Amino acid sequence: MTDYAIEARDVAVTYADGTEAVRDVDLLVERGEFFGFLGPNGAGKTTMIKTLVTLLRPTAGSVTVNGFDAVAEPRSVRATVGYMAQETSVDPELTARENLRFACDAYGVPRAERGDRIDELLELVELTDVANKVADDFSGGMKKRLDAATALVHRPPLVFLDEPTTGLDPAARNRLWAYFRRINDEGTTVFLTTQYLEEADQLCDRLAVIQNGAVVADGTPETLKRRVGGEVLTVALADGDESDRAVSIAREEGVFADGATIEPNANGLTVTARDARTRGTDLLVALRDAGIDVVGFDVRAPTLDDVFLAVTDEGAGGERASEIESTPTSAVPSGTVGDGGRGSSEAESGGEGETTGNGGDR
Amino acid sequence: MSAPSVDRHGGSFASDMWVTFVRWTIKSVRNPFVLVVSLVQPIIFLVLFTQVFGGVATSALEGISYETYLVPAIVIQVALVAAATSGIGLVNDIENGMFEKTLVSPMNRSAVFLGKTLAEVVRIMAQVVIVLGLGVLLGAEVATGIVGAVGIVGICVLFSVWFTAFSNVLAVVTRDEESTIIGANLLQLPLLFVSSAFLPLPALPGWIQTVATFNPITYGVDAARAVMLGEDTMTVVEVTRFGGMWNTLVPALVVLLVLAVCFGSVAVYAIGRAASADVR
Repeated sequence: MTDYAIEARDVAVTYADGTEAVRDVDLLVERGEFFGFLGPNGAGKTTMIKTLVTLLRPTAGSVTVNGFDAVAEPRSVRATVGYMAQETSVDPELTARENLRFACDAYGVPRAERGDRIDELLELVELTDVANKVADDFSGGMKKRLDAATALVHRPPLVFLDEPTTGLDPAARNRLWAYFRRINDEGTTVFLTTQYLEEADQLCDRLAVIQNGAVVADGTPETLKRRVGGEVLTVALADGDESDRAVSIAREEGVFADGATIEPNANGLTVTARDARTRGTDLLVALRDAGIDVVGFDVRAPTLDDVFLAVTDEGAGGERASEIESTPTSAVPSGTVGDGGRGSSEAESGGEGETTGNGGDR
Repeated sequence: MSAPSVDRHGGSFASDMWVTFVRWTIKSVRNPFVLVVSLVQPIIFLVLFTQVFGGVATSALEGISYETYLVPAIVIQVALVAAATSGIGLVNDIENGMFEKTLVSPMNRSAVFLGKTLAEVVRIMAQVVIVLGLGVLLGAEVATGIVGAVGIVGICVLFSVWFTAFSNVLAVVTRDEESTIIGANLLQLPLLFVSSAFLPLPALPGWIQTVATFNPITYGVDAARAVMLGEDTMTVVEVTRFGGMWNTLVPALVVLLVLAVCFGSVAVYAIGRAASADVR
């Protein structure tokens, strides 16, 4: 058995209508990791997660989950993973307890343990008081919590969460985050897809960003933020129309070190540079000398939003997208893949998946 | 939490079937409105038809009451209405995510399918028994007695298979509750009227007699009626070699069986496809 909870090599999923939802994705998730899978709508997140939980069969490549081949031994995979679908999935006509009992029986939880297990999960998701009410009467957040509990009845070593907090209010979201953190602390590997970068930042040990069906970046949140190339300085101008002039001044004066990106924005300009904080005042002085009025400025550390925008912009650029996609690991500075614990060499050996792949046509 | 056991594959075939049976039975008991409403229409038919047409119809019948003549048609109607709800259950499951939840569990998929079907069979049996009892209270007579009554329940179950399958196909094709309900209900009344359900076929226009020959309802109703009366009642196909009511039962059951296999196969195929999604 490998050390990986998930080992996906060169996975491609093409729908019957020809849509290539996932193209040559390599994923290695270690046991115990909290792994985040990020991407805009339609990027292929859900297709990938459905492939990992055996709902979809990969068109090409190989998928091994908990040491079982997803195509050859789907029932072993199903028995050892929990899956929380993007759409809340509970039976509205059953009570919370009945929903959990059904899930216990579906996963073969022994009768003797069933009652205690259900009570424990009801407590975890704080639904003990409404255990005997039908789910139809629950709020969206309560249904989500019940859904999360049903995914955990068999104490799976690996849990898939597909946008688990989409559409929830902040309080409900924080509550779910706490549960997810707790099960991860207790040793469960978590695979989470999300559009919320804050969610990924809060929870995940390691992230991969998917765009147009291909992984365009991966690493720890810190690594990815470092990829942005420094700190972010935003300058607001009194007259937004002067943005372009301000940008050319910033570029021509050579205020910032090499590698800085200087772009106009709606009412000023944005500079991303290693020395944005130390040389920021030089830029402000230069702008004042040129007669451009500055009405505000802000220097901050990069967030995952910056990462996301940076890498998905790259990915959106036609030809460049396919370059990145064909060598997914080259997009990651290999030296900085730290506490995520993934050596780049494993990912690069993904080519063997082509020969060992179990294909989509069996 | 304790160390997870990795090699557990869920329960056995029988327990997977039982788990599914229990879920669907809880759902139908929890929602008695559906149970009651699906009985109301056939019961209204039973009461109204016997009152409105009873006098006229009796003259077209030979020596039996219209109640006795009509009850086999009504029990078949009950089976038809109940069968239509099978697809509605499936489409609800697809809509509320339980269909996918089942697929992603280690449960045996055939066992899940059979468990749901078993729950529907039990429900159809209960409903047919209720209507049959009501018919007897209203004056209908089962010539073949208790054994015959059990036989009629069995015929209704066999009859329900093709329409159950049909409504399930509607469910996976439309994936929409309203379309499934409308699709199934649209067919129900016309099919009943262009069959031997309400009046003897010789009393009806020629074209209806022709259509009735190809209408599954004719075979269900004729089979149930043959048992009800204890005699050969089939007029669309003449068979004489088995004697008495068996001249109706044998050809009718063969037709129903063939229909069940054909429609059932299409439904299993359609549900299987829905389960595996459209991936190359």
